[in-house]
Parts: sequence; structure tokens; C-alpha cells
Amino acid sequence: MKILRQTTLAFAAILFALCAIPVRAADDAKPSTDSAMAAARAAAKGDGLLEALLIELDRSKAQLKIDQVQAPYYIEYRVNEIDDFGAEAAFGALRENQHVHVRVLRVVVRIGDYKQDSYFGRGQGETSILPLDNDPIALRHQIWLATDDAYKAAGQAFAEKQAALKQFSADSSPVDDFAKASPVIAVEPTVSLKVDEASWRKTLEDVTSLYKQYPDIQSVTASARFSAINEYLVSSEGTLTRNGKTTYSVQLNASAQAADGMRLGRSPAYMVARIEELPERATLFADAKKMLDTVVALRQAPIVEEEYRGPVLFAPDAADDIVASLIGQNVLGRKPQLGKPNRTTGPFATSYKSRVLPNFMSLVDDPTMKEFRGKSVVGNYAVDSEGVKAQAVNVIENGVLTNYLLGRQPIRDFLDSNGHGRAAPGSFPGPSLGVLVVKSSEVSAWDALKQRVIQMVKDQDKPYGYRVETLGAGNSPRLLYRIYAKDGHEELVRGAVFNELDIRAIRNDLIAVGNDPLVSNRAGGAPSTIICPSLLFGELEVKRADTSKDKLPDYPPPPLVK
Amino acid sequence: MTISESSPTRGSLCTRVTEFLRVTACCALAVQLAAAPAALAANDKAAPLPSVPSPVSDPVLKAMQTELARATTDLGKTEQAPYFLSYTVYDQDFVILVGSYGSLLNNVSAQRRQADVTMRVGTPELDNTHGQSRPSGVSSGTLPLGNDQDAIARVLWELTDREYKRAVPSLLNVRTNTAVRAEEEDKSPDFSKEKPQTHVGELAAAPPLDRAAWEGEIKRLSAAFRKYPEVYLATVILQVQNSKSRMVSSEGSAITSPSTSARLVMEAQTRAEDGMDLLRVETFQAPAASGLPSESDLSAKIEKMATDLSALRKAPIAEPYDGPALLSGRAAAVFFHEVLGHRLEGHRQRDEEEGQTFTKKVGQEVLPKFLSIIDDPTIHEMAGMKLAGAYDFDNEGSPSRRVEVIQDGVLKNFLMSRMPVKNFSNSNGHGRNQPGLMPTGRQGNLIVTSSQTVPEAQLRQKLIDEAKKQGKPYGLYFDDIQGGFTLTTRSLPQAFQVLPVIVYKVYADGRPDELVRGVDIVGTPLAALTRILTTGDQQHVFNGVCGAESGQVPVAAVAPAMLFSEMEVQKRAHEHERPPLLPPPGFEDSGATKSAQSKSEVKP
Repeated sequence: MKILRQTTLAFAAILFALCAIPVRAADDAKPSTDSAMAAARAAAKGDGLLEALLIELDRSKAQLKIDQVQAPYYIEYRVNEIDDFGAEAAFGALRENQHVHVRVLRVVVRIGDYKQDSYFGRGQGETSILPLDNDPIALRHQIWLATDDAYKAAGQAFAEKQAALKQFSADSSPVDDFAKASPVIAVEPTVSLKVDEASWRKTLEDVTSLYKQYPDIQSVTASARFSAINEYLVSSEGTLTRNGKTTYSVQLNASAQAADGMRLGRSPAYMVARIEELPERATLFADAKKMLDTVVALRQAPIVEEEYRGPVLFAPDAADDIVASLIGQNVLGRKPQLGKPNRTTGPFATSYKSRVLPNFMSLVDDPTMKEFRGKSVVGNYAVDSEGVKAQAVNVIENGVLTNYLLGRQPIRDFLDSNGHGRAAPGSFPGPSLGVLVVKSSEVSAWDALKQRVIQMVKDQDKPYGYRVETLGAGNSPRLLYRIYAKDGHEELVRGAVFNELDIRAIRNDLIAVGNDPLVSNRAGGAPSTIICPSLLFGELEVKRADTSKDKLPDYPPPPLVK
Repeated sequence: MTISESSPTRGSLCTRVTEFLRVTACCALAVQLAAAPAALAANDKAAPLPSVPSPVSDPVLKAMQTELARATTDLGKTEQAPYFLSYTVYDQDFVILVGSYGSLLNNVSAQRRQADVTMRVGTPELDNTHGQSRPSGVSSGTLPLGNDQDAIARVLWELTDREYKRAVPSLLNVRTNTAVRAEEEDKSPDFSKEKPQTHVGELAAAPPLDRAAWEGEIKRLSAAFRKYPEVYLATVILQVQNSKSRMVSSEGSAITSPSTSARLVMEAQTRAEDGMDLLRVETFQAPAASGLPSESDLSAKIEKMATDLSALRKAPIAEPYDGPALLSGRAAAVFFHEVLGHRLEGHRQRDEEEGQTFTKKVGQEVLPKFLSIIDDPTIHEMAGMKLAGAYDFDNEGSPSRRVEVIQDGVLKNFLMSRMPVKNFSNSNGHGRNQPGLMPTGRQGNLIVTSSQTVPEAQLRQKLIDEAKKQGKPYGLYFDDIQGGFTLTTRSLPQAFQVLPVIVYKVYADGRPDELVRGVDIVGTPLAALTRILTTGDQQHVFNGVCGAESGQVPVAAVAPAMLFSEMEVQKRAHEHERPPLLPPPGFEDSGATKSAQSKSEVKP
């Protein structure tokens, strides 16, 4: 029923890193908690929010106790101060324009010990909103209430968890519930949102006015979402961090129906960490026109009727989505449900030390990378949402899975965080991608890859191969071209999906990698970046999509007044 | 079918997540307040001639009319032409400030423009909105904010086409269902015929909101709660809204209704040692923020709220009871809203899932003879208070009207939208909805009047007399309530509940009144209504937000205090979480809440 609109709470989906200053970490491995806390208090000086958090932290740690419930062994406060501007235009006119400024607190109180604690169900934390100014009493009041709730919830969760564990026979060497980590003190400058909102509103309106030149296009919208998020973290271990991150994203959307009713659309987006990297107005217009031209071309494009099995070349803007969904999600070391024996969840749960990619490929996630070939990466951060320093992690080496990305929830054989515990504002942290870089020991130029496709289809006596420029939802191709063996010319087609594009295909059928890595900045719980070149699959099935064709509009769009 | 002064949840705001949601719900509330084309000075009558619309200067209205005409013509050529099409565009421009303990938790301003496209295919006798298919009558979306007619028309077209593609299959379903199912008892048509209306509402521009001054005031007011360590949840919320709704229909209606409103809600909560959450809410309403009570008046209210909560914390829990009861005017108003008002909503008289308590009682006595009830959205103010349920046109474009529902105890009429019921074939201007939903008959300002009154001051003595007469040790006095709800369907018992917050035992033997807590008034409608003995001589107003099938709409209920020969109360369900363990910030040394540690039990 609703026309596309951004939800008011969508700010919760944005968070990322622009830390330019190296972390001043506590260097010695295990300072006593008291001295760590003293250092934290010293570092908090002058920041009213951090000071209020520490006062309540101290008070709660010292005094929270109900008979027959243990006192907390760990308390953590994370505050995300979000300053968010969002605007959307449709058909040349502004439709949404909003500013959100909110501070979200998440409190985690753990009772028990590192080995087994209350982090379960409601014991995973409480969320609250905090005052926008630094009035100490008003701030502390909300922190106090949320802590009280979190402690009581932890007490109940601990009992529930122990009851649940009784269903399973005891594991001889279960992994701990919570990984120990050295305290980190890193107070970075805060960031704020400084954008020319009026000018961006105008740009969005102007670029969506292009619909007037494209009678075949049904819908044209454009949106901008700019965020500055300051993250504050304090814990009873003595960790105290503050860092600020900005993200700027602009998205264009166009949709149309083919004469047969098939829905066609494109939604190119830009996401950067530095506003000056957003496209200039002229570039944005050129890109918008290209988007509209391709949607118009798609309307005329032939439908993929015949099943095809052969080489398919993915451009970087399509390959990144494949890597994100087939590899990126599976290298996260997520602890399985209580009682489940697997190392982690997902298809790579049992793939440790097994080959998951061709042996010429490697994957590293390096959140400390701030930019790549001059382009900002939004997945960069210095300290993760659990107060652990970011680390480069080689997850796949020469095709073999050698590690997982981990937060402070250990999994079998991987007992420490490697600085990948990240969270969206107000939500619990989990292992997440930072800056995932796809590497290959052998790379080829785009033209060479294309030639290889042509040679392969010639050899296989096929009239054409395929290349994909960009993907839509569910890894279905948005822009798919046939490359003809005869003369190398290309033809845009529509209505196709890939069959069995899965971890087996990427392990066994990926035969070559391009030399054209693209920085793909991605929104989500915690923003991440994938740096990925073109990928050539030696064999992949392309078949007709099994989607219904919607009816065309029952009457024509309104004629233009202006 | 709930009514409340503030946010819909009561009590169990024990988790902070809820608190977070509650604040976001406030945003929703502000949006909802514009649902009804609300308060404006109704100084002109609707023009009777729709066929000659006056020249339109409002570009938005013009775009709506042009696009509506085009859609009507173009879709008129299709196989299944709509017989009715309307566009309603809601402009909402609002500011929300939420203060707590001296700081702002939320400071939001936003502009929205939403369009509802309502379409009916088939015939007025049987159309796509019949029975359970009612939601198929409307599609909604966000419209561009400015005056760009091309953009507005384009989005309206998208919505209209989408709605058409919903309405047509729905009609097919309706026809099949009607053929397959047993004949319905009430064979009324689905849509009444009404005279089209044109109206351009004028409204003196509200004085601009002095936002900085209000930010200061909200902070100061909320800081007043700092003095009370037991009041551990407190918010002061200001919602100021300028709205404009525009409606055009294929019948020729064109109505513009601007409105402004300012609403201040103060909520304070504590928790008794047994875990019962205790809540006090005060709300104030005015056309503009400048019309809200002065800061000193509000501060005085805060003192009162805190004192009440402190007394309530210590008050004993009342036992289930059936005996004489005195309801204050506000309590009686909510009682009538729930027990009677919802059951007189027109659509409930034909829906075969409904209990239809009063459907066949027209012309019969349903109340004591000395009581009469009207629902009159044309009244804007009463007993010195602005009425929240006032509007000039309902959401179907029918002019609001005073409806005498019960006269001298005899049921005369129902609250009608354009959905006819047996023997009531026309709207009486009570078709209301929140944006995005289909309208149904709803209450506006429900006003109970009485011809058998005693001065209010004497009611307490009357209660004592009645208790003595019945041989009861005490009667109950319900001083203030926070809201209520009722069930009207057949699948569940016909019941209502009113949620009192301040209740006293008034002893027959002359002991001082005793404050009690933890009771809800319960009962069944027909029994409860016949037990009213007498009423007070002054009208009291309850302004609230009422939720039902067609969404949240602002309403008022007005009634005098009432003495009941019998009223049943039950124990209130409540959480058992103990109060906060540590003293609140600022009271660290008081040791006030250390008592929690001395108790031993905790639930596993």
C-alpha cells in the first residue's frame, strides 16, 4: 500500500567508521581493574556523557545485588549519538525531509563469569534513550533505570540459561561465553553533520525531474541519507572509547514495466565516508540518465527463454554482492544456539581448514584500512563496538578457510575476539565484516576476461556467453548482457536468474579474477566495505526467472502541466 | 476500542525498550491527531452545488481535482468502472518535545503529506468494501510536500492505479462470497447516498511556536520530578501540530479543513513494593501552545501527581467488591464511552461478528429515564475545556452533526458513517478514521446529560447512605481514571473495563476515606447501565485518543458524576518486578531504597 519511503527509524541501520587517529591502547596485557578504571576516569574528563556513564557504572558495579542473585561481573554501556539527515524526492518534488537527533543507550549487565554467564535471551541487554544534553542527573537517571532493568533481566536470564543447558549432556570442553579482552582507552574527537541540506534537497528534486524526459519510465525517486554517529563505550573492565563516524549515501531509483508487464528497475547508490567524494551534480545527472536509459533499454530487451550453461563474467559491481552473500556472511564466527555442537552457524560451520575458494584466491578483512586507491571505505574503524582494537584477519588463504571474523563471543577453537564485534545503534554486537578485500595471485584485465568468455563459448560451440554488470535483490541480474562469439557484440537481455549460484559454484567454477577492484561501501547493521574485482565463472546456469508479469497501468500517467 | 489519555499501554512500562517505544509512539500519536479534520471555527454552511466548483487557488487541491477527474474518466472506460473515487490529502507539520528529569530526550519536527485514495467498484448495494473486504477500499502513500502539481498528480495516479488493481479482484471475491454464504441478516447497501459538500475552511494562523521557550519550559517542568525519588519514570511531552486535510470526491465534494492543536501530556510512574506499576497522567489540549496552562499551573499539577503517587505507593490493594460506587464525572465519561458509545457505532449493528447489544433496541429504554446522550462534534468547548472530538466534516466529507442517540433513556439513533444499517440509511457525520484506514462510525464528543441531579457536594453522602442501605461497610469512590476498553464481538464475552487510578473506600461508619489501589471496574453493559441512581449537577470532560478498527481518533467524553447502586471491581493484573534496587541519582545517600536488599525472594 505504501509508496517507497524510508522508515523513520532507519537511522538504526547506519553506523560506521572514520577514525583517523590511532588508538592509544593500554599496552600491558592485564592491568588491574582498579587502575584501568582510574585511567578510564581520567580519560573521560571533560565529556559529560562519559562522566555520567562512569558514575553509574561504578555505582552499579559496587552496589547492584539482590539476595540469591550474583552481583554483576561485567557491566557495559554503549551510547550511539545519531545525527541523521534524510530526504527523498519523487518526480521532481521533495517528499520526505527529516532530521533525527537521538542518543541510544545499550546496557549489558552480565552475571556469572566469563566461562558461563547470563548473556541469553533478555540478558543480552536493555535499550533506552538518553537526554540530548549533558545534564548529569537527567543522563544518570535514564542510565540508572536501564541498568536496573538489565541486572534483573540478567538474573532471570542466567537461571533460564542454566535450566536450558540441563537439557543437553555436558560438553567436556565447552567454549567460554565471553572472551576476555584487554582494556582499551581511546577518546577520539566527536564528529558532526555539516552538509548543505538545501542544496541536496534541490539536487534530489532536479535529478528526479528527469522523469519528464522519459515517458516510458513509471517511477523516479532519489534519496539522500547523511549520518554522523558518535559511539561511546565504557565497561567495568576499564575500557573507555569514543569515536565518531560519518556516512553519506545517495540512492537513485527508477522503475518501469515492459510491454508484457514485467517489472524492471534499477537503484544505483553511492556511499562514502567523506562528503567530498559524493558525485558532483553533473556526474549524478549523467549517472541518472544512464540509469534511465538502461531501464528504457531493458523494456525493449529480449527475455531469456532458453536455459544456458556456460561461462558468465561478473563485473565488480555484481561480483561484490556474490562475495558478500556467499563468502562474507559465512566467514562470521557466530556462536550456534545453546547445545548445538557446530563451530559456527551457516554453510562454513564445518569448513575450517577446507578449501572454500579456488586456490589462487585469498580474502582478508582489514578494518584498519582507511581508504583504497584514494576512495574512502565506510567499513573502517579503529576499535569495534565491544572495545576491541580492529585487526586485519586473513580469513581465506590460497582458497582455504583459515579463520573467522570474531567478536567477544568465542566459538570452538577461536577463543578471542579479533576486533570484529560490531553493532548497529541500540542493538547487540555480533561478528561483522569491516573491510573485506578479495585478492588473487593471478589477475587479468577486463578485456582479457571477455576474450576468454568468447573463446570458451566458441570452443563449446555456443553462440554467446553472458556478462553481468549489476545485481538486484537475491543476486538476480539487473543488467545482463550476451556476448556474441561471432563478433563480440553485446545484447542486453531481461527476465533471467542464475541457477545454483552457491558456495559450490564459487569454490569450483570460479576460474579467473580481474585486475579492477571496486570499493563497494555498504549500509547495514554496521557499515562495511567489500573490495572486489571482476569474477569469471567457467560454468553457471542462466535460466528464465519464474516471476509473474504484473498488469500494466489501467490508464496513462497524467500529462505534464509544466 | 480503547480510550486513553496518553499512550495506549498502561502499567508495565518496566523495560526501557518499552520506554523507547513509548516515545516513538508519541510521534505516531501526533500524526494520528490530524486524522480527523479537527477543530476549526465552523462559520459557514456547506454549499449545496457541487457541480460548479469555485475557482481553485490551492494548487494541491487543483492537482487533486484534475487528477481525480482524469482517473474517473479514464477508469470509467474500463470493464469495471469505479462508481466512487475520493482523494484525501493530509498535511501534517508537527513539533514534538519530550522532556525527562530536566533534559530533552527527543526534539523532533517534521512535515508529512499523506494521500488516501478511496475507491469503490461494483454498486452502492454491493461493492469491493463489503464485509471483511473493507480494507480493499483504500490505498495510501506519501505525497510530495510542495505545490508541484505534476509530481502530486503523478503519485496520485500511481496510487489510484494500484488501488484499482486491489478493488477489482476484491469485488470478485465479495460477489463469490455473497453467493456462497447464507444470506446476511442486514441487507443494507454498502454505501449511502449523500449530498456532495464543498467547503473551504478558514483558520486564523496559529501564533508561531516559540520553540526555544518551550524547550526551556519542558525541561523545567520535567525537572520538577527530580524532587521525588519514588517517581522513577516521568516524561513531559509537548505535541504541537498544524494540519490541513483536503478531500475531493467523484461525487463533487471538495473540502479543505485546516486545524491546529497543542497537546501537553505529563506522565509519571512509580512502582509499589509488590511490583505494581502506578501511573498518573495529566493531559491538556488547546488550539495552540499559547493556550496551554501556565507553567505555574502545570508545576502545581506535577506536585499533585507526585503526591498522589507517593500516597498510592503506600495504599493497600483493594479487594474484589460489588456494591455501591460513585464515579467522578471523568470516570463516568469513560464508562459511557466504553459501555455505550462503542456499542452505538453504526457498523457494529450489521457486522455479524459483533455482539449487537443495542441493534434491536431502538425505541426501547436502555438507560434510566433521567439520562440522555448526544454525540456532538460541532461543539468545540464545554465546561471551560476544549473538546478533543470536535470537527466540522468527518473523513467521508459529511458535515458533522449533533446526534441524539439516547433521549430520556430511550435509544433513538446510532453513530453513522456512510455504511448504512437496517433502518438507518444515511451518514450522520460520524465516519472517522486515521489516515490510511477505512472510516467507520465513531464517537466524537459523547455528552451525557441528566435531569435527576444532586449538587456534587452531596454525592459522597448519597454514597454512604446507599452503602448503609445495602448493609455494606463502605462504598467506592472513583476519583480519576486513565482510560478503559471494551469487547464488542460475539466470540468473546461482552464486557468492559475502566481503569481507575485514584479510588477511595468511603466508609459507612464515618471513618476517614481510605485511598486504595489495584482495582479495575468490570462488568457487562446491559447490567451496568441500569444501576445508575442519580448524578451530579456538573459536567466533566475527558479528552482522549480512542482506538478501534478505523484507527486512532481524538475523542471527548463528557458526563456528570454518577452514583451506582452496584459496581463490580476486580484485582488488576500487574507485573511483579521490584522497584529499582539502587536509589536514583541525586539520592545516593538517602538509603531510601535499600530495603530491597533486605528481602530475600527473587524469581528464578
